[in-house]
Amino acid sequence: MGNTDRALRWLFRAGYGTVFLLLVAPVVVVTATSLSATTAVTFPPTDLSFRWYTTLFTRRVWMQAVQNSLLTAGGTAVFSTGLGVAGALGARHLSDRSQIAVSGLVLVPLLVPGVVLGVSLLIFFSRFGLQQRLSTIVLAHALWATPLTFSVMRATFSRFDWQLQEAAMDLGASRLRAFREVVVPNTVSGLVAAAAIAFVVSLQEFIMALFLSGRETRTIPVESWFALRGSLSPLVSVASTLLVGAVVLTLIIAATAIGLERVADDT
Amino acid sequence: MSVTAAGLRDRLQNGELRGLLVAPIVLFDLLVFVVPFGYLLRISLTERTQRGAFVEGSWSLEAFQYVLSTPTLIDSFLFTLWFAAGVTALSLGISLLYAYAIWRAAGGLRVALLGGVLVSMLTAIVVKLFAVQQLFAPNGVINQGVLATGVIQEPLALINSAAGAVIGQLYIVVPYSVLAIYSVLSSVDESLLDAARDLGAGRLRAVVEVIIPHTIPGLIVAGVISFTWSVGSFAAPLLAGSSAERTTGIAISDLLQQNFDWAAAAAMGLLVATTVFVALAVTYGLLSYTGGGTDG
Repeated sequence: MGNTDRALRWLFRAGYGTVFLLLVAPVVVVTATSLSATTAVTFPPTDLSFRWYTTLFTRRVWMQAVQNSLLTAGGTAVFSTGLGVAGALGARHLSDRSQIAVSGLVLVPLLVPGVVLGVSLLIFFSRFGLQQRLSTIVLAHALWATPLTFSVMRATFSRFDWQLQEAAMDLGASRLRAFREVVVPNTVSGLVAAAAIAFVVSLQEFIMALFLSGRETRTIPVESWFALRGSLSPLVSVASTLLVGAVVLTLIIAATAIGLERVADDT
Repeated sequence: MSVTAAGLRDRLQNGELRGLLVAPIVLFDLLVFVVPFGYLLRISLTERTQRGAFVEGSWSLEAFQYVLSTPTLIDSFLFTLWFAAGVTALSLGISLLYAYAIWRAAGGLRVALLGGVLVSMLTAIVVKLFAVQQLFAPNGVINQGVLATGVIQEPLALINSAAGAVIGQLYIVVPYSVLAIYSVLSSVDESLLDAARDLGAGRLRAVVEVIIPHTIPGLIVAGVISFTWSVGSFAAPLLAGSSAERTTGIAISDLLQQNFDWAAAAAMGLLVATTVFVALAVTYGLLSYTGGGTDG
């Protein structure tokens, strides 16, 4: 019995150890290959240099992609957080049945495959000649970001002691002022987390962006996708590394705002 | 009660109409999700044409007939179902093991294991698939490592093959699947395990009979995520699979952008969406049956 237990324990450790390594491997691979000194993408790289980083900043298409990604992610963060905050505040005052209906409607797009959403939005927006614009990509990304901001904000507001707001109003503050000075400061961590999550969702989404973007509106993942399907150069690694770096940075902001475990629980 | 601007403002200030704050989010989902989806349905019911997109204003079941009678499209749909089922099974096994490891770990190890999932979850799909191409290539580190042990003589076809498509898709679904299981597991009292062992159960038996039943709601959510996302898979089979792994997602994209057959693309898209909703309905039934519910 003791031996079987021990063997089992080692097997278990080897199992989750392997999964852990495979989970973090992509980040290691792209970072390492981005430092390639040659034109080849090989892992592990033989010589290291930052030459591809400086090259990236001289390439117009990649700079355009960086700009498009930041605009799209920023737009999605602001838009989805606004919808999520308002929706979460409103949902508290609805009947249970209406709450379920609203949550259901908001959550469904998250379960529809990106290809189907992409095709549906491309066909729909083409009707009005609105395809290939960054704003339509923002709307598409908001379909996936809003369910997350909505649930983060609902969780945040459910933890807030609303009697504090009542107290502020009893002391003579208007509803708006009580909200601004009592509710907002106490829920700002949730707000930051929601915006960060929305930002990240948009930053890395690419299937809908692939369908909805044109030559001038490609985001970093879309540009990388075209690069991957064409000839491979360490530039893709550099762009990928920057993308991962931006995402991790945003995650750190979110994590310090509300704590790592709650990012996992709320979304 | 008269509906005047002043009256409305009073009611807003008294907070009577606060429920109305859900209006923007509801309106958004109606306009950007429900209406475009309805439009997709409408396009799927138009006549197909050789001269671009679809025939404006026509009504026809031609697109569905075409999709359901074209062997390559049927094959790709059936392949996608098998692919999704296989990915789901593997994803559940891997994710359960890993979520359990996070749950059992303490301190720094727990943070590291949880961090690993979050890092992977936050690595863009394109980046992960790019890394998969490097890692699992015939001359990549994984094949070279296994070759060095002498277990195999020839490198394994881990990319540009069905295995590659599955590996790529697992990279997309496993992090979410782990979190779904872990979020349920984290509320289970660890002393349950000790109690079972005190009563004489072996380690494995204690886990299988005491812990796993508690994780069922999480497993169901993880299964839904894995299955629905794999039914719509597009990037993984295209970048890490071979031309034989033609999923419905790829077929839809080809119909839309290469054949300009929008009616057929719409019909195929609805087929995928219907598959997802059927899977969701079945799961919802299962969830109410087991009595477990999650908010994730």
